[in-house]
Amino acid sequence: MSVSATNISDRMAATGTANALELRGVSKMFGALEALGDIDMTVKPGERRAVLGSNGAGKTTLFNCITGDFPPTTGSIRFFGEDVTGFPAQERIRRGLRRTYQISLLFTGLSVIDNIYLACRGVSRGRFSLLRPRRNDALMQSAEDLVRVVHLDDVRDTMVSNLSYGQQRQLEIAMALSGAPRFILFDEPAAGLSPTERRELVDILTGLPGHVGFIIIEHDMDVALRVSDRVTMMHNGRIFKEGKPAEIEEDPEVQALYLGGGHG
Amino acid sequence: MVAIDSPRTTTTDLRRRIASVPPAYWVLGILLLIIPAFASDFVMFQIMGWTFILGLIALSLMFLGGYGGMVSLAQMAFAGFAGYMVAIFGDSAISGISQGWPWWIVIPLALFLTVIFATAVGWLAVRTEGIYTIMITLAIAAAFFYFTRQNYELFNGFQGFNSVLPPELFGIDWRGPEAFYYLTMFWAVTGFGAVLYVSRAPFGLALQGVRDNPRRMAALGYNVTAHRVAAYAFAAVIAGIGGILLTWQSAQISPGTVGIQSAIDILVIAVIGGLRHPIGAFIGAFIFVLLKTFAVDVLIALGLGGERFQLLIGMGFLIIVFFSPDGLLGLWEKLKASRRRDPLTGGQR
Amino acid sequence: MRLFATRHPVWAAIIAVVAAILLWMIFAVWPDGLEDVIGRKKVFLNALFNGITLGGLYFLVASGFTLIFGLMRNVNLAHGSLYLLGGYVGYFAAEATGYWLLAFPVAFVVVGFFGILLQVLVFRRMEGEDLRQTLVTIGISIVVADLMLWGFGGDFYNITPPQWLSGPMDTFFVTAVKSSGEPVFMKYPMVRIVIFAASVVVGVAMWLALNKTRIGMMIRAGVDDRDMLSATGARIQIVFVGVFAFGAGLAGIAGVVGGTFQSIAPGEDIRFLLASLVVVIVGGMGSIPGAALGALLIGLAEQFGSVYFPTYAVVLTFLIMVVVLAFRPQGLLGRA
Repeated sequence: MSVSATNISDRMAATGTANALELRGVSKMFGALEALGDIDMTVKPGERRAVLGSNGAGKTTLFNCITGDFPPTTGSIRFFGEDVTGFPAQERIRRGLRRTYQISLLFTGLSVIDNIYLACRGVSRGRFSLLRPRRNDALMQSAEDLVRVVHLDDVRDTMVSNLSYGQQRQLEIAMALSGAPRFILFDEPAAGLSPTERRELVDILTGLPGHVGFIIIEHDMDVALRVSDRVTMMHNGRIFKEGKPAEIEEDPEVQALYLGGGHG
Repeated sequence: MVAIDSPRTTTTDLRRRIASVPPAYWVLGILLLIIPAFASDFVMFQIMGWTFILGLIALSLMFLGGYGGMVSLAQMAFAGFAGYMVAIFGDSAISGISQGWPWWIVIPLALFLTVIFATAVGWLAVRTEGIYTIMITLAIAAAFFYFTRQNYELFNGFQGFNSVLPPELFGIDWRGPEAFYYLTMFWAVTGFGAVLYVSRAPFGLALQGVRDNPRRMAALGYNVTAHRVAAYAFAAVIAGIGGILLTWQSAQISPGTVGIQSAIDILVIAVIGGLRHPIGAFIGAFIFVLLKTFAVDVLIALGLGGERFQLLIGMGFLIIVFFSPDGLLGLWEKLKASRRRDPLTGGQR
Repeated sequence: MRLFATRHPVWAAIIAVVAAILLWMIFAVWPDGLEDVIGRKKVFLNALFNGITLGGLYFLVASGFTLIFGLMRNVNLAHGSLYLLGGYVGYFAAEATGYWLLAFPVAFVVVGFFGILLQVLVFRRMEGEDLRQTLVTIGISIVVADLMLWGFGGDFYNITPPQWLSGPMDTFFVTAVKSSGEPVFMKYPMVRIVIFAASVVVGVAMWLALNKTRIGMMIRAGVDDRDMLSATGARIQIVFVGVFAFGAGLAGIAGVVGGTFQSIAPGEDIRFLLASLVVVIVGGMGSIPGAALGALLIGLAEQFGSVYFPTYAVVLTFLIMVVVLAFRPQGLLGRA
């Protein structure tokens, strides 16, 4: 399974020498509360990283800093070698960064295909076009492909407000895959999915083209460890361990803190 | 409808497109075309002409409100502005102000200036969100009304302009009942088709995306503010066409045309019909015109006195928004849904 | 205040200079040259006083509007109708009893009761749906306006203040100096000054009640965080009804004031609704001090406008609104 929307030039760009993502000394304060403290993190192009940690460990805050939904208090963020710390969200999107949201932020008054089409259109020209897309329009084609990738063909023209929860999560992923992404942040994509849907999700994630790296926040260890090359453990807004999935799984400290606990 | 397709459009493709038009549209279309064969001049000019015009102005509100989530009370001000521009640059009885330029300059110029005006208003209005929009556009509409009433150099104050007539193109008197009927119908259908078409084009889809979730749209790489302002500009073209036709119909434009009452009338029309679909604007306009024309007779027949018209309109409006926020279209859909439901199980079909 | 001065030194300086000039213009005897340019001092002072007292009236109307909006996010576009209703009720109360003062509590209670009906029958059913609220209240205002026109006719009603309040009052402001060297003091209608003082008292009382009492704390907590208010076990619906009744009652009182200052007639509802909208947009939605500042600005703009550029007096107030929106969309004292 592959995302056909990506093209050769993007692949070439992604295989440059720079790291996909490089965080140096990133911290985020909410008033006096430190949500993130002194985060250093390097993710290579094409690398798949899982970020684990209990609720309130600062994982989603980390995502918000990377995407520019809100800026970090200190520190710098480099995306494929470029310092994007001061960039607004849409500039980062145009450079190939995508994310999914934990809470549903879909366009509930539009159909599935329209949601994905909007996501594809967002990074291209002609956002103000008054002309309907032709049937052989390239963006329309890639939107159609994405519908198939996430198995939503049956509900292609259904209004999003009428979709099931699982289908909405699938749609969320399709929107993150749209428009030639180079790096994706998945925020708990498996939450609330059925076992079947989880298997499909793992297939989608492992089936992504090799140059597309991602960070995934996931409470389901099974999903997180199967799709990732490396794991970062967070606690109270700080990173306290990083390593291969197997190492993390066997680490006594981690086991004591998370894997042994009731939290799945 | 504007047909934009690849040059490879084949006849089968065309045939499929024609077949996909709902039969109700065919019936309505044919009915609209043959109405002049049996309708009186009054019906054609006053009832239908006025319906098409008010429908166009309400359509511009429907576009902003239904697709953009911005309920603007300034649409009547835009329409009136276009009417004023036609009177100022074109011909009227106020020869001291009217420039008397030819129509092919005046009309594009009037629409162009209307778009500029609406863009400025839109830029102000979109700086705030949601409910503020309605208050700010109401205040702007009121400001425009007071300005036209006070300004004598350009807007001729309280009196406004009279004898503003359509150009005599192709030797036809466009204010003749039949000609005016077809003129207004043409623009109503064009406006309707354009809105329907654009609603599925990137601009319209993005606008609906902004309505549903502005934050996500920004995260997808869209400039939310620019889209909203552009929607004001687009809607202003429709309102402007409606305003010019309105000016021609009554052959005059004055502050009364752009008063607060008229601004609210447009809102009432759009909401009564239903903001969800472009056809709602015309349904609302038709009902409004019928009420406005015949309610006085009905009220007198009921022994209430003709001046209670506002009460009737207000009550009707109140009942509809109270029970069906989606207007008559919403009621119709509810009715359809309940018909389809199985009376025993309550399940679908 | 000091915080503002350190944060915005330029603005603080401009405000200080304007205040100084204003004070000088109010208290000094104008030199002849100035009178030649902008007219007599008496006219200026009258416009100033009229502006301030009109601002007091606008504040009474707008503070209720902003209070209701601030706490409940309820958009009540029938607020102008409440004002007009208060005026009519006050007029008939004063006519029937012969006591002008009695018009105020009667208008407050009757219009406040009307507000309770609105909150219970309309707003509670559509919490959070601001568009529907707007539309329904527009519908209500159309209906109520026509019912009042039906009941009270299209005439102007004037509420006459009692003997002890009518007539002018001597002030200590010098408008001119006679050739004999004797200063001429300004005279101003007593009733306007008294009513303005009353509106200041109402404003200060509201501010105190919101900032210093337990119920006020609850209301302000509700403005910041609705869930927190329900979590404290406060009976939020009762607070809502109370605030709505109070805000509506204020509009009713304002109607009596308006009927005494000016007059009440059909169409005044829309005028005062618009005035409230502009005042709260300029001052900042949901802010009581903002409503006071906005009301003062709009009142002054209207009166000075009508004296110095009569043609565009009404447009001037909207111009202020546009400028504020362009540079500070949340209003002068509103929170972003």
